[in-house]
Amino acid sequence: MIRGALDNEDPDRLYTVTGGRSRADESVFDMVTLIVSECEPVPGMQSEHARILRMCRGPLSVVEISSYLDLPVSVVKILLCDLLDTGRITARHPHAARTGGRLPEPETLKKVLVALQNL
Amino acid sequence: MSAHISSHPYKGPSLTRQALAVPLLAVVVAGGAGLWVTAEVPAADRTAVAVFCGVAAVLLAVALAVAAFRSRSISRLQERVTTLEREAAAKELEAARLADETIPAAVRRLRDGGSADTVLTQVTRPVSAAHQRLLRVLVQEIGTGERMRASAMAACANAAGRVQALATTMLADLREMENRHDENVLGDLLKLDHTTAQAGRIADSIAVLTGARSGRRWTKPIVMESVLRGAVGRISAFQRVRVHAASNAAVAGYAAEGVMHALAELMDNAASFSPPTEEVHVYVEETHTGVVVTVEDGGLVMGPAALARAQKAVSSETLDLTTLSGTRLGLAVVGCLARKHDLTVSFRPSARGGTGVVVLIPQQLITHVNQDAVLEPPARARAVEASRQTAATASAPVAERGGSAPAEAPAPEAAPAPETSSPAPAPGAPSAAQPPRPVNGLPKRRRGETLAAATRSAPAPAPDSGKAKTSRPCPEEAGARFGAFRQATRKGSAAGAARNAESPASAEDTEPAESAEPAENDQP
Repeated sequence: MIRGALDNEDPDRLYTVTGGRSRADESVFDMVTLIVSECEPVPGMQSEHARILRMCRGPLSVVEISSYLDLPVSVVKILLCDLLDTGRITARHPHAARTGGRLPEPETLKKVLVALQNL
Repeated sequence: MSAHISSHPYKGPSLTRQALAVPLLAVVVAGGAGLWVTAEVPAADRTAVAVFCGVAAVLLAVALAVAAFRSRSISRLQERVTTLEREAAAKELEAARLADETIPAAVRRLRDGGSADTVLTQVTRPVSAAHQRLLRVLVQEIGTGERMRASAMAACANAAGRVQALATTMLADLREMENRHDENVLGDLLKLDHTTAQAGRIADSIAVLTGARSGRRWTKPIVMESVLRGAVGRISAFQRVRVHAASNAAVAGYAAEGVMHALAELMDNAASFSPPTEEVHVYVEETHTGVVVTVEDGGLVMGPAALARAQKAVSSETLDLTTLSGTRLGLAVVGCLARKHDLTVSFRPSARGGTGVVVLIPQQLITHVNQDAVLEPPARARAVEASRQTAATASAPVAERGGSAPAEAPAPEAAPAPETSSPAPAPGAPSAAQPPRPVNGLPKRRRGETLAAATRSAPAPAPDSGKAKTSRPCPEEAGARFGAFRQATRKGSAAGAARNAESPASAEDTEPAESAEPAENDQP
């Protein structure tokens, strides 16, 4: 178990990725905030920033980015904060998109649950 | 000496005889002369002259006897002096041989690990007993010293290896915890992570100085950015280090740890010998001889003597433990690592006002990783993206998608997903860069991994290619799958007993691979 983890590990520690920070300055991001890159990566950029910019050509949620980068969500938030501050990405909250949308009726949800259990 | 003293009494009688012969002769001659003179002089004076002559003859005889005896003893003493001188010269020669040949040879044999008794039988024994005793005492003392040194080194190496193993495990655990916990705990975990990394570096330093192997081995080439981060992460003042690197060079896995450690020591030196307000700048530059990493600080200027001393510490042929001071191990460690990996380290005054250290990582340790391929999002991301794209193009409104969308659209069809998911190294890069890829369509098992894990981790081409997006699987495929499933269950039930008997063996087979890491670390 440990061995597999050691084999796949990278030598860079998380505090070097974040430059010693452990907390994002702003709380504009949550798990499902959608990120879209606004520019192409430039050479000399931190590799994580470049990868975020590449993978966010289409909207991608914070938690997905975290999974693809194999970094904790809080670290990804710090990285995204850097990019947002320099205007390289834009962030959108998904609930802003479905304004006025209501949650399904509890009855419907219950039916779905029963049907799922019957499977 | 004793032989001489004992030989003296033998010579005594003959010498006395010879010494007596001369005065007897003198007395006879003087007596004759006296008689003649007495006979010549007038009778009145004859008595006085006879008495005078007799006295003179006796005195002469005594004087001659004394002179003869003295001369004999002088010549005898001269003989003794020459023999003694000859012997002293021989002893000198023997002592010189003892000092120049025998003792160095004995010490060399002791250093090579021979025991004191073995060495005493092997070297040429000196003739004199005192020298033999001297040699024996010397060899025994040096042998004890060597044994103590060797066991102290082994104990240090062993302890360092254990601390290294603990630090490595702890870093992996911390990383896993960092993934699990949110940002309230993350700060504390990062602090622990940093401290553990520094402790690991100290253990690595001791391991390097005691000649043990370095902390861990990477199984893939490590890109320069990660090498520098790995180095920066091991020093206390890592926030003062500014890295300027746009290189896509990667250091071969077996040397990456050593390079990281050497750079960490140099950065730590730079950070601790410059004021806390100054930054340490690290530049990476690729040349035809390799990759040059420059660590520059704005701290104290090292004088020519200090520069020469530092240069000597990192470039000397062998590690001299006597030059180690208790507190500054860094440069000695860098020297060891430089010798091991053929790094060239040179010091020079920096244009920033402090000291600059230039490290040349030779070309044979460098591979090039195609950064673009590494930076591509994983295959799943592309698949998701592609499906999103088709959805988006189907439902007309493409608001946020700019000019990149048309160029992106044909990509998943043109290049199969498994190809892009693995980093495509430059030609000539070692195959360690690649994740296990099916050879001739067969999954490749890595050491210590079960076959099931290998087949699971190997990219399955069928679901990722365009066919996967058709919602309905073709019937032949489904039939084949059922066939395989049926075959597997039948085989499984038939070989159930056999597998039960086999499973302990296979468990034993995988166990050594897992426990290999600590066991290796135990060895000096």
